[in-house]
Amino acid sequence: MVHTLKEQDLGYEAVTDTKPKKFVLWLFVVASTIMFGGFTSFYIVFAASKGKGHGLVLPEAFMYSTLILIGSSVCLFFASKALKSGNKGMQQLFLWATAALALTFGYLQVDAWSALFRTGATLVNNNAAISLIYIVSGMHLLHILGGLGFIFSSLAGSYMNLSAARAKYRMELASIFWHFIDILWIYLYVFLLLNS
Amino acid sequence: MSTISLHDTHHHDSHDDHGHHKETFLTKYVFSQDHKMIAKQFLITGIIMAVIAMGLSILFRLQLAWPEKNFPILETFLGTWAEGGRIKPDFYLALVTIHGTIMVFFVLTAGLSGTFSNLLIPLQIGARDMASPFLNMLSYWFFFMACVIMMSSFFIQTGPASAGWTIYPPLSALPTAIKGSAMGMTLWLISMVLFVASSLMGGINYVSTVLNMRTKGMDLWKMPLTIWAFFLTAILGILSFPVLVAGVVLLIFDRSFGTSFYLSDIVMGTQVLPNEGGSPILWQHLFWFLGHPEVYIVIMPALGISSEVISVNARKPIFGYHAMVYSLIGITILSFIVWGHHMFVTGMNPLLGGVFMITTLIIAVPSAVKTFNYLATLWRGNIRFTPAMLFAIGLVSFFISGGLTGLFLGNASLDINLHDTYFVVAHFHLVMGSAAIFGMLAGVYHWYPKMFGKMMNSKLGYLHFWLTFISAYLVFFPLHFLGLDGVPRRYYAFTEFEFMQKWLTVNVFVTWAAILGALAQVAFLWNFFSSIFFGKKAPQNPWDSNTLEWTTPVEHIHGNWPGEIPTVYRWPYDYSKPGAEEDFIPQTVPFSQTMSSNMPHDFEGNTEAEQIQKDWEAKNSKPDTDKLV
Repeated sequence: MVHTLKEQDLGYEAVTDTKPKKFVLWLFVVASTIMFGGFTSFYIVFAASKGKGHGLVLPEAFMYSTLILIGSSVCLFFASKALKSGNKGMQQLFLWATAALALTFGYLQVDAWSALFRTGATLVNNNAAISLIYIVSGMHLLHILGGLGFIFSSLAGSYMNLSAARAKYRMELASIFWHFIDILWIYLYVFLLLNS
Repeated sequence: MSTISLHDTHHHDSHDDHGHHKETFLTKYVFSQDHKMIAKQFLITGIIMAVIAMGLSILFRLQLAWPEKNFPILETFLGTWAEGGRIKPDFYLALVTIHGTIMVFFVLTAGLSGTFSNLLIPLQIGARDMASPFLNMLSYWFFFMACVIMMSSFFIQTGPASAGWTIYPPLSALPTAIKGSAMGMTLWLISMVLFVASSLMGGINYVSTVLNMRTKGMDLWKMPLTIWAFFLTAILGILSFPVLVAGVVLLIFDRSFGTSFYLSDIVMGTQVLPNEGGSPILWQHLFWFLGHPEVYIVIMPALGISSEVISVNARKPIFGYHAMVYSLIGITILSFIVWGHHMFVTGMNPLLGGVFMITTLIIAVPSAVKTFNYLATLWRGNIRFTPAMLFAIGLVSFFISGGLTGLFLGNASLDINLHDTYFVVAHFHLVMGSAAIFGMLAGVYHWYPKMFGKMMNSKLGYLHFWLTFISAYLVFFPLHFLGLDGVPRRYYAFTEFEFMQKWLTVNVFVTWAAILGALAQVAFLWNFFSSIFFGKKAPQNPWDSNTLEWTTPVEHIHGNWPGEIPTVYRWPYDYSKPGAEEDFIPQTVPFSQTMSSNMPHDFEGNTEAEQIQKDWEAKNSKPDTDKLV
């Protein structure tokens, strides 16, 4: 009985819709935004009650890393455009460029930390606002790692010659997430600049 | 589809092998991606955790009732934590902490939402499975790991976390402060991070499924109230749990890396700690920004379940369907702006306290709307007292009696007296503890046939209900009076304080009632596990219910419905509709088949349908008048 019923629903697997899965990622974006909202609200309440922020001139590396990250977003945009016009070679090239820029971004973030460290603005600090710079940029860097996962999954999809729909789906996931973490970093950077 | 059976057998076999991978024991029962199996995994894990947490509560109740007495058997099981058969103060604190943590998070969040959102969302909205079955599986296994890690803290020398389920710093942030803040606290934090990841994966899936995967005809206003409740609960979780993560990350850094987010001006013994500039109050803000929505995450699914169970078993449409939905939405929104009422006595600006007081008291409005709607649904209903119905009515009772004391606690000035007393303990154990667990049990009794294809024994169900209901009141009601007298919660023994000694006899009474309540659960556990194997086989629609889950076959299949998913034509509460042949009309029955019972508002302004109905009524009015004469 069970067996015969099973055969009848063979058809439905084929028509799985990608929309709900993309929506899942959007909801993750919301959740993650709220976590960073938690950190920045901590910062605001802390700064308001102590009457002081981090009080630093942020290292230049943060400025360069921001530019690099925007560049990576642009590359990803072109990768997605290349896929749409069916140019797989270009798509792969731009995806590799995105990944390379992402790694550069990571390097620059660590460089910024060491610049902070050298000036005495260490993680272990009696000014929690300074510690928080490390926390938010560190948590953001974890998101970059996750984003790299999406980039490499699109790359793999491109090399494995997945069906057009699957390849497009992977590319879309990568785009949603990568542009999100790009904007997220800009928000965090501007936030830290404005609330010194 | 039917072509498959027409093929030659050898052809058919190869087709079958190609079509889907074989289900092994591992993919079917362990790493299952089927929402129905995952629901059962959540439920059984939740039940095991509930039994553990209940056991812990009996242990600390023993200490409260007989602080001077030795129970040698405790030493046998607990070793140095109960040397000489008496629970040590350190371990007492661990007991209340882990009892609270397990009950709030592992039982009433994961056990409740995890079970019923997983089971009912796809079945009641007409979907094959969740938006992402893989993420759903991951959600269970993260939850499972969280449970294992939380329990593992009972097997380390310094014992489990002991700073209370709210783990306020600085107590929780300084590993040397108390035994429980050492390794046990670290395990607590790791476990909670996994738990939050699990509930986010679950919640995100639920929201996406509800919004994207409803069957044809199932618009939002045709969804059962259970789905509305699970949907809004999931939204609450997505919006509040990440804030707890933020708070926990900072706490981890304070504990393990020496930062000063929550720490300042602390002297341990003779040693002045270097941490400076932090504020423990900030933890309370971050924690309660999750913590308060969390209590609604606990109660809302239970409210949704009882709406459904009460309507089905009163054989009446739920009273005020739209009002029910709007009050759920109201509770969802308000729950984000009331967290300060947990912090009235932290030196909060009285003006701010007033704001939090007003927002808190406003929650009474949607809560009361829901309560009155339950009562109005029961009013003159054709009530069937199934065990599920009794538990749902029990929920309403606890929701009222526990909710009323919320008005006292929500008041910023009265709270100065009542804060951190047994009055608070009594309040939340009734309104969110007992009420939510009764909602969960109502759900278990009601949907057991859907989950296991078997019926539970209703006589044992009645026994379970009455013993649990009575003992819950006997346990929690007297605690109000302790609280009004100023007895603080979490104290190890009442013998050291003159004014508390008179309550010792009450503690003995409460402990006996708690033991009775615990024994009553044996009736449930026996009923639950034995019915899986020996229960009566369930019919397809045992409660004559309208919702979609009862149109699926009793034998579970992956994808839920053989063939096409049914289309939905009407709301889920057409019970005892005047003029209908039976006292229920499933959602899948089109209006064209129920001409004798259609109402003008059923057509939602569709003039064509209204015209057809009018024509039909004109044609059939004659025999009707004859009958009347």
